[in-house]
Amino acid sequence: MDEPESVAEVSELLGRFGDSAKIYAGGTELLLAMKEGLVDYERLINVKKLKCKDVTVENGALSMGALCTHRELETSRAINEKLPALAKLEHNVANVRVRQVGTIGGNLCFAEPHADPGTLLIALGAKMIAEKSSSQREIDAEKFFVDAFETALEPDEILTKIVVRVPSPAGRSAYLKFGYLERPSVGVGLAFNLNGQVSSMRIAVGCAGPAPRRVEEAEALLEGKSREEAERNLAQAGALAGRAAQAITDLHGSQDYKEHIVGVLLKRAFLSALS
Amino acid sequence: MAKPMSRVSEAQLIPISFTLNGRLQEIDVQPHELLLDVVRERLGLTGAKRSCDVQVCGACTLLVDGRPISACTTLAFEVRGRSVLTIEGLAENGKLHPLQQAFIEHGGFQCGFCTPGMILAAKALLDENPDPSEAELKHFMHGNICRCTGYKKIIESIMAAAKTMRAGS
Amino acid sequence: MQFQKEVEIRAPREKVWRFIWDVDRFIACVPGCKEAKTLEEGKRYAATMVEKVGPFKVEFPTNIEVLEREEMTRIKAQASGADNKIGSRMKLDLDVNLREDGDKTVLAFVAGVDILGKLAALGHGIIKRKADQVLDEFAQAVKKQLEGDS
Repeated sequence: MDEPESVAEVSELLGRFGDSAKIYAGGTELLLAMKEGLVDYERLINVKKLKCKDVTVENGALSMGALCTHRELETSRAINEKLPALAKLEHNVANVRVRQVGTIGGNLCFAEPHADPGTLLIALGAKMIAEKSSSQREIDAEKFFVDAFETALEPDEILTKIVVRVPSPAGRSAYLKFGYLERPSVGVGLAFNLNGQVSSMRIAVGCAGPAPRRVEEAEALLEGKSREEAERNLAQAGALAGRAAQAITDLHGSQDYKEHIVGVLLKRAFLSALS
Repeated sequence: MAKPMSRVSEAQLIPISFTLNGRLQEIDVQPHELLLDVVRERLGLTGAKRSCDVQVCGACTLLVDGRPISACTTLAFEVRGRSVLTIEGLAENGKLHPLQQAFIEHGGFQCGFCTPGMILAAKALLDENPDPSEAELKHFMHGNICRCTGYKKIIESIMAAAKTMRAGS
Repeated sequence: MQFQKEVEIRAPREKVWRFIWDVDRFIACVPGCKEAKTLEEGKRYAATMVEKVGPFKVEFPTNIEVLEREEMTRIKAQASGADNKIGSRMKLDLDVNLREDGDKTVLAFVAGVDILGKLAALGHGIIKRKADQVLDEFAQAVKKQLEGDS
């Protein structure tokens, strides 16, 4: 167990030990996989001493440290004020014990398909800040999730912050999920501005496919439309989003069922965001 | 018994000290040792149960610094310098905690397997929110599963205890 | 899990048939497959399958047995392996068909894949997607190999 105190140290350890080491924060995903014997690491890099735990608002951008727990995000005043849809999402992640120790960074980087935050962060146009020894870069949320359990992070990079532009007063957003198993089966997140017309429409679908993804095809049906026209297009947008979800039949439901649920959630999320 | 998870050498023992049920506890743990195993097997406190082993059921719930965690998925060294409460530490000087009393009086348990975790989670809830609505109670307790009671009596017990605790007794 | 793949190869049937029995070259087309060995010419083979999904890696020492063979036309084979470290087993039933289509050969196969044990915990969906991907890559690699050398 290593306990580095700087990003540079983490990078160095990752570079040195490669596949035989893994970053460990809350451990809510990692320890499960290790207990199951699905993965085996010689070293765990305990990153909880890094200073990545703040939620700050500066110059119209809300920044969350990757080590913030779901509980900290759920109860953060800044997030409740500026990004209530995210606060609500965090309030409903897993259960109270997972929320207590699980971190947003761990959740995003483990990239379990059946997870919530990534989907809404894509809809919110979030930027992931990835750092290594000597440099840092920004990765758009919609490019962050590459595949099931796979992100765009390089082997010696660590996610340190997630930054979201604070929406204007005209901003609306919502996230709805559905599932009856322990993890969510379908999740839909959206964000837009409403000034008489719908603009800057962003829709993301998660849980049904291998990674959460943005659905531009569905956005186009609502973008630039009046509220009434957008409502009329919801069914079609929902069908498009469903097909784009890359759903396959498994224990969470058949492909048809999941695609249908995507449509239902999109409609409900949009209507709830309007009100 | 938990399987050893890691090939970390046995020589890397971590000495930790923490407050356990109000008393100082000092023990050496291996990096990969789970809190549930330390509490049950090495400290003999078997109230917390290994049930699902994937932090879903809540039977292993312990309070660390007053907050509920899944001991089955917590590395033991993580409690260094903190305070841990198990069900065995809830009654004080032989007097049952209002939650324990309420669960008895209102039939909040049948087989009792989920009960230690259930009561500790309820304590964390009431410490944070002394007058929860039923919806708030259900949301907080959502992660504690019971196969016997159908939950109605559990909710009644917690609400009754909350009332007693608010009255200050 | 059942998969069906078909790939059109611009090469004569005989060449495709011979390629299949050229164990080293054939095995090289299966993504993640290495160390192919012939145990009994035409009947039994061994190989190691290594696959990765994110941080999850499996290594299956695999035994392959040819059950039926119709010259130039059809092969029926079965493969099985176990990753004892993870506690998972893999079973594959393969039906390969060759048919001529002008100067091209159509290689069609039906694969039945079963994954048992711990790995199944990853989720049926993920395994299905991965298996599909592996078979796709395999079909494309065979085509490329055969069309590449003229």
